[in-house]
Amino acid sequence: MSGVAILGRGAPLWLAAAALRRALGPAGVEVDAVALPDETAPGDLYPTLPAIEALHDQIGIDEAVLLRGARGAFTLGRNIVDRSGAEQPPLLLAHGGYGTGIDGEDFFPHWLKARHHGLGVGLDDFSLTASAAHQGRLFLPDEVSARYGRADYGYHLPAAGYAKNLKAIARHLGVRIAETRTVDVEHGEAGVTALRIDDGTRIAAALFVDATREGVVLREGLGEAFVPWAAPGDRMFTARAPRLASVPVYAEVRAGAEGWTALYPGLTHLHVAHVWSSAAASDEEALAAAGAASGFALEAPAVRAVAPGFVHEPWTANVVGVGEAAAGFDPLHGFALHALQLGLVHLIACFPTGGAMEARRAEYNRQMAIHIARVRDFEVAHFALQRHAGPFWDAARRVPLSAELDHLIALFRARGEIAPQEGESLPPDAWRALFTGLGVVSEGWRPAADRLPPDAAKAHFRKMLGFVREQVLRQPTHDAYLARIAQASRG
Amino acid sequence: MTGSPYRIVILGGGTAGWMCAAGLSRLLPAADYDITLIESDEIGTVGVGEATLPHIKTFNDMLGLDEAEFMRAAMASFKVGIEFVGWGREGERYIHPFGTFGERWAGADFQHHWARARLAGSDRRSLQDYSFAVAVCRAAGFEHPGEDPGSIRSTYAYAYHFDAGLYARYLREWTTARGVRRLEGKVASVRRDGESGDVAALALESGAEIAGDLFVDCSGFRSLLLGQTMGVPWHDWSEWLPCDRALALPCAGTAPMLPFTRCTAQRGGWTWRIPLQHRIGNGHVFASEFCSEEDAERTLRGAIDGEVQGEPRLLRFQAGRRGAGWAGNAVAIGLSSGFLEPLESTSIFLIQAAVTDLAALMPRRGQRVDPRLRAEFNRLFEVHYDRTRDFIVLHYAANAREGEPLWDHVRHMALPDSLTHKIELFRESAIAPDYALGLFSRDSWLSVFEGQGVVPRAHSPLAERLPLPELQRRLDDLAERIALNAAEMTPLAEFLADYCAAEGVALPGVAVSAA
Repeated sequence: MSGVAILGRGAPLWLAAAALRRALGPAGVEVDAVALPDETAPGDLYPTLPAIEALHDQIGIDEAVLLRGARGAFTLGRNIVDRSGAEQPPLLLAHGGYGTGIDGEDFFPHWLKARHHGLGVGLDDFSLTASAAHQGRLFLPDEVSARYGRADYGYHLPAAGYAKNLKAIARHLGVRIAETRTVDVEHGEAGVTALRIDDGTRIAAALFVDATREGVVLREGLGEAFVPWAAPGDRMFTARAPRLASVPVYAEVRAGAEGWTALYPGLTHLHVAHVWSSAAASDEEALAAAGAASGFALEAPAVRAVAPGFVHEPWTANVVGVGEAAAGFDPLHGFALHALQLGLVHLIACFPTGGAMEARRAEYNRQMAIHIARVRDFEVAHFALQRHAGPFWDAARRVPLSAELDHLIALFRARGEIAPQEGESLPPDAWRALFTGLGVVSEGWRPAADRLPPDAAKAHFRKMLGFVREQVLRQPTHDAYLARIAQASRG
Repeated sequence: MTGSPYRIVILGGGTAGWMCAAGLSRLLPAADYDITLIESDEIGTVGVGEATLPHIKTFNDMLGLDEAEFMRAAMASFKVGIEFVGWGREGERYIHPFGTFGERWAGADFQHHWARARLAGSDRRSLQDYSFAVAVCRAAGFEHPGEDPGSIRSTYAYAYHFDAGLYARYLREWTTARGVRRLEGKVASVRRDGESGDVAALALESGAEIAGDLFVDCSGFRSLLLGQTMGVPWHDWSEWLPCDRALALPCAGTAPMLPFTRCTAQRGGWTWRIPLQHRIGNGHVFASEFCSEEDAERTLRGAIDGEVQGEPRLLRFQAGRRGAGWAGNAVAIGLSSGFLEPLESTSIFLIQAAVTDLAALMPRRGQRVDPRLRAEFNRLFEVHYDRTRDFIVLHYAANAREGEPLWDHVRHMALPDSLTHKIELFRESAIAPDYALGLFSRDSWLSVFEGQGVVPRAHSPLAERLPLPELQRRLDDLAERIALNAAEMTPLAEFLADYCAAEGVALPGVAVSAA
């Protein structure tokens, strides 16, 4: 394998280039990054899941440097609040775990049982991250907290700053960079042979990675069909607003009757995203309405289409689709970088070394299919089970469920169990918090939980609540921690 | 909680029946469940499960059994792997170890480094030389694994060889002492609810009728409730696993005692050798289409290395499973749910997995069977059986015994797609199966691949982050650490004598002390 050429734009291109070069450079794999004109708008921001930290570590990205450079912030999750008039309680989807094991057994069945018998304490109070989020504090895990449970955080990464940082890292790692306005895909017998760019340069490679939004090589070049997924919204704008006096430590998603508006706090600005259906409002109408509803002065709004869906065989011939070229999610849960990461991790694992690559191609496509399906199930579960009012959310409730998701929900309703599945990349507690927060009440719990006398369970709960309170109080506020990170560069 | 306790009736008291009774009585709250087990001393049990996988320790620990006491009672010995002899070419041998191969270096799984060093010509060692568990087997030693995760002595797990009948009897004592009711009797007929078709009660030959809410079918091959009563269809897997008979014939122990099961390929099937404290279990699994019973007996007697005890016992079976493990209110566990030949010691694991799943999905007091819970049980049931099947079929598919009709047949048969992909992927790239659900880890697959000549033509480029001389230095160091530590292992028989020897048993190779 002589080299790999990656076509894309913005952060996805540079993340793919940096990750592949870092992993494969020592094996002599040359990486060409072919950059199409960046479409990043000032308001664009990537909310990330905690898992991204592993990819950043592998590339060698320093967290403080990244947040300073990208003007990012920490996030402990997303809080979906009802503004549709349905008067639903807020749904906080925190990144960490909930509760700690009791005598070696799962916490959750015990909580289900206690709640059934009238316990008034919600799941959030048993979670280090959810409790910290409620109090405006970051949660920095240590050995003591790790014994209790996971306390993970993600980031809010403004897309422009993130891309700039990643590009510099990619260049430093030895990625060869070519910039072009247009690209011609040159075909041969075994797939694609080269990319021809504006200045006439021909970039040949044995393997091509398509990291574009629209699948320039995979879909347009090779004709792989894009299978659209049903979603309630088809338009989106992003914009920026002035920084809030205090930077919240999670995203707020306001579910209105006509769509939703997300507020993502960053280091220097508040980033705003709004998704709606073009059947209900024109771009101008949506901008005006969302601007008024948010109460912020929106700067630099940029509108684009939302078109979630996937490609059956994201690796076809010698072209590997990653990110949106392979699968695009609805923006509500911020899965864009997660999908990209899944692609990069499996591509690196299956990276061909010359000779035959049929089996690795089949393996990549198999892994992507099962992993993407589980993430899609999560967003569809939210669509199906949310109880907001209005035509947008009615459409969301009509999105069809996969057989696997149908079973997952049925089992949770029956017993509060999360059916273990191959290809699952979200922790079981993410599913538990989603179902519970959406009001799915389990009819029972695993009988083993009944072996613990109720008084003993209560004592365990009291201890947990005390521990969580005490741990959260020791944590820095988000503002204080961000200030420390900003200062470190001057110190 | 109102109403009377939920009634669970377990039919059959073999290994499956008593593991089920023990597991359920431990995992379910006693006040809410009334557990009855019906068995008949007149009905023999199959007891094929003399060899186990390391998961059994999790089950015993969950029950809270005392290891040494249970081992004394079941004449148990330790087991750190399974040796396969003659599955490649005649005379070739390898061990499927209960442990890891090597270490993960530079972000790449060990087999990629191994494949690289071999392809580069700098290293000639087998993957086997990089497993501490293999070295423990070769040294015929045993000690409990170490707890320091940095030490090579922590890189293995262990299972047991035991007398499955004695294990069942031990669990019976343990379980009945904890409130499970045992009834002696044979089932004359099954009474079903006219409307739902559920099993309502079992009528015994004595005239007694045992009513229940949920029935666990541990009736063995008969599959009285799931197969005969509920009519759940059988999925025949003999196209991939043609062996359909087994002859069992124990013999006296021989020295040194070996901490592994041995499975030796024979012309018409394969023979097993399972050393326990008081004897060696031997048997011959064969395909009647390719091998007569007389030939099988001759082969078996020829393979036995100790003084034969008694006469050979014949078993007939077919590889496969039921379409579902749970239908209506009847759940099959053990041979009533399916059968896979004991090549990889999986029978007892499949029982254990079903018991654990059933405990989590069991109806609660006052409830009926919930189809949603049943669907989950059946989903997991299929995962467990089907993944295990692929692994066992691999041993046959990758044989190199050319010119023998059975082996030529299985080498050329069409494989399940899921298995074909795994083999091709490993050949092409050294990527080995690594899944979240179901039996057999990446290391298990690696051992059989390499042991039977499925070798990679390439490796992950990630392995090239280590300079080749540095890699070779690490490989040499690893092999040396393994050899040094294995040389210090206590011989198995001595370890057993100190730890858990049954009274009155003379372990082979251990001098009887005057103490």
